[in-house]
Amino acid sequence: MQAENLKLVRDTISNILVDRGQPPEFNDTESLFDSGKLDSLAAVNLLMTLESEFGIDLSDPDFEITQIDTFAAIMDLLRENAMA
Amino acid sequence: MTINRNIAFTLLEISREFPEKAAVSCGADVLSYSKLVSVVCDVARKLAPALQSGRCGVLGSRSIEACVAILGTAWAGGTYVPISLKYPEQRLIELLDLLDLDALIVDRAGIRLLSDAVRAHCPRLVLIPADAPGEFVAETAGHEVAPLADLEHPVFVSEDHLAYIEFTSGTTGKPKGVMVSAGAVASYIEAMRGWYDFGPDDRAAETCDITFDLSVHNMLMTWHAGACLHIMRPLDLVAPARFINKHQITTWLSVPSLVGIMKQTGKLAPGSLPSLRISLFCGEPLPLQVARDWAAAAPNSIVDNIYGPTEATIACLRQPWSGQGVETGIVTRSRDIVAIGDPYPGMKTMIVDADLNPLPDQVPGEIALGGRQLAEGYFAQDALTAERFPTIKGERWYLTGDRGYRDADGIFHHLGRLDNQVKVNGHRVELEEIDMQMRKAAGTDMACAVAWPVAHGSAQGIVGFSAGGEADADTIRGNLRDRLPPHMVPSRVHVLDALPLNGSGKIDRKALAVMLDDNQAQPELAS
Repeated sequence: MQAENLKLVRDTISNILVDRGQPPEFNDTESLFDSGKLDSLAAVNLLMTLESEFGIDLSDPDFEITQIDTFAAIMDLLRENAMA
Repeated sequence: MTINRNIAFTLLEISREFPEKAAVSCGADVLSYSKLVSVVCDVARKLAPALQSGRCGVLGSRSIEACVAILGTAWAGGTYVPISLKYPEQRLIELLDLLDLDALIVDRAGIRLLSDAVRAHCPRLVLIPADAPGEFVAETAGHEVAPLADLEHPVFVSEDHLAYIEFTSGTTGKPKGVMVSAGAVASYIEAMRGWYDFGPDDRAAETCDITFDLSVHNMLMTWHAGACLHIMRPLDLVAPARFINKHQITTWLSVPSLVGIMKQTGKLAPGSLPSLRISLFCGEPLPLQVARDWAAAAPNSIVDNIYGPTEATIACLRQPWSGQGVETGIVTRSRDIVAIGDPYPGMKTMIVDADLNPLPDQVPGEIALGGRQLAEGYFAQDALTAERFPTIKGERWYLTGDRGYRDADGIFHHLGRLDNQVKVNGHRVELEEIDMQMRKAAGTDMACAVAWPVAHGSAQGIVGFSAGGEADADTIRGNLRDRLPPHMVPSRVHVLDALPLNGSGKIDRKALAVMLDDNQAQPELAS
């Protein structure tokens, strides 16, 4: 995973957090959505970024939505996607 | 014999009829009806000795634990009070102080919010989740537990017992706690069961947070029928079609905004939701196109619009829209939305003028509601209760603040708000409450909030304006985040040299909205 990709995803999440009135810091394995920390509109924003910047195909039946709950899981998803 | 109106009452009967059937499911966890009753009874035994006012806070949402907390409170004869996971610390503390709870029950997301500052305001009894789904332990040892024999059945409550208190945004900056009786809930359920044949084979989706009273419908209609409630986690809301298909959901109630998300992500293709048979929308005006798109996506489902404020228990008017591919519903042409239809059994609706005189058909005025589903009023706000629940010609009514009219056929139509209450993506928001916090945050009286953009009577966002204060846009938003839940914090704040005023010298919201429409604001933009 290229450093700039890491940074882009991290910044996107930080921006969403700040937008929702929370501090920009988060742990790589911390639950972002299931924990109630972020809402569904935030998830839509994040998904849109993943789709437009990384070509993640959200309509792929194998795409499991829970894979974006933590930063670490998103990184795994992007890695798999890059290899596919 | 008087009937037990405990909202958990039928749960016991259903669990005897279908002990092994799934009652509630969330992620990988499922509770059968017999297991649900066992954990609910266990929570009730822990709560019962602590009950005085009866009020038990539930700090959680979208979890099996939140459901068990609600049912356990009811079983013990208490009043459940949902507390939003999205509240900032200060608002949480204010609410805890106001409520003076007998107990607080938290789920795994709720624990995260128990900072030292919050804990200092919590009641003595705090129940936290144990390892197994739906099980709780008292956080501090030494609390009394009631004997099982006392709580084998849900505690008897009469019609006027308070089932729950739901908080909504309030104009004075204090959230309003709507107190709903068990009798009002029973009346709602009876009406709905008369129209819809919810049964044990149904699979319902919990589309809402427990702080929104559509969740009461989703929970209770499901458990009264012996059906299974599938809880949508926050990420599931992003892809409702995927959730519906994965769990073969048959009954659905949500705000229309959720459909907006599906359209945004391109997931509402015709025929894509074949498992649905009952689809209901509530909480916002239902745009014609949304109703049509949903009906096309769910060809085996009826699609109906229901209307009502929390103050009249979930919903109390209904307009059937379509079934079997045929549109039979009435449309409010001037708005391109589905009409709100006519009142539920036991409920009355009239249109009144500013002096509370009934208006003739076709003439727009304020929608007033009366009957069995009316709430008892606002928690600890008697003056506000008297103002919004006036007695007209000897009967108690609720003034909705919604504008509407009755047509020549007796069908009611909704025309938006009379005041500055708006719906932002399904959340009910009083703009005055944001105004008040904006003035504090900006350090000037010239500050206000505008709902913008607005489509079909629903706002997509909130924009703040200030003039003459020291604070810049980022500082204002930062201050607001400490005081308001995220959906009430303006997504943008424009700091201008001056704000437009209307004829009476008040800040002219309409002019500001027009300015946004024309894109004239040359702001110091906060991203």
